[in-house]
Amino acid sequence: MEEKVLEILEEYCEEALSYAGDNMMEEGVIDSFTVINVVSELEDAFDIEIDAKYVVAENFRNKEAIIELVARLVEE
Amino acid sequence: MRTDFEKVVVIGYGKATGEILKYTDVRRTDYGYELEFIEHEPHALGVTRQICEERGIPFASMPDKRALGAYLAEIQEKTLIVSASNNFLFPAALVERENITIINFHNALLPEYPGRNAPSWVIYRGEERTGITWHYVTAGVDEGGIIIQKSCEIGPDMKAYELTEALMDLACEGFYECFDSVLQKNAAARPQRFSPDRRMYRSFEIPGDGFLDLSEPEEKVYRLLRSVDYGKSGIFPPLQMEIGGVRAEVLRYRKIVPEKRQEGAGLLYLPLPDGDLLKIKYRPL
Repeated sequence: MEEKVLEILEEYCEEALSYAGDNMMEEGVIDSFTVINVVSELEDAFDIEIDAKYVVAENFRNKEAIIELVARLVEE
Repeated sequence: MRTDFEKVVVIGYGKATGEILKYTDVRRTDYGYELEFIEHEPHALGVTRQICEERGIPFASMPDKRALGAYLAEIQEKTLIVSASNNFLFPAALVERENITIINFHNALLPEYPGRNAPSWVIYRGEERTGITWHYVTAGVDEGGIIIQKSCEIGPDMKAYELTEALMDLACEGFYECFDSVLQKNAAARPQRFSPDRRMYRSFEIPGDGFLDLSEPEEKVYRLLRSVDYGKSGIFPPLQMEIGGVRAEVLRYRKIVPEKRQEGAGLLYLPLPDGDLLKIKYRPL
């Protein structure tokens, strides 16, 4: 699962892979439009629904947060 | 550089607003105006508050229309209001004030597609080109003199959010080009010429009335899907359709090559004219 998430991130936001901080949005690593693409890819890849309430800066603060979000939704 | 404007107020949300805010902040050193930012519609992924905090720009959140109108009405200085990705309609009394000049970015080539959600309507109607307009704000919606326009192609697979992003980039380019002339009050504004059948798009209107008619040509079905696709922003409710006599809600869609077809519950495939398949994931209601 983690590998697939990283693959998607690499396609849309390669910088996220090497980012070591905890606020990609604020630091301009990822923008709101890239988030839309990433969310759409994640939904398709894992056949999950990522509700709008999860599409917030906190869940996209770094790659670990995204993996954690996907893991949680896959389990549900 | 000289300007009569003592203050610049930026109002809006999203990517273009953030970039314009940074630009107007940098240009403060050239002109010496005061700068402030007003957030009228909060954005879940917005970063304008952080930009303001980092740069020491006064930030105010005013989701209430009346409060915002009252606040702006109190401004006494000569002020330029930059409305970028902003849905607040400025009251006529404010627009007509001598000390206030308002410019607005509209995400279409005015006088075509005035009103709301223009990127959706141009995709839905199968336009091949669109663009942005910076114009002066008058009492009528999207009716003021045109300061600058920039155009772009609409790609055959472009979704509403992708087009919106392209238009925001164009809006920034246009702003950088016209900002000095607006501040120096020598921007040549071109009046709009309205056709008798000019149509204003309202916020409650949804392309296709929100219904995906599967008997329509596949290309039109695809256009409708793309036209309302703003990711999770909730600008439009999910499209509905009828399949096998059952009402269903579209969850997501994707254009795929036929080799990637996989059968499963709640999946529908439609052939597209270019040989690809339109995969639609739906949920019965």
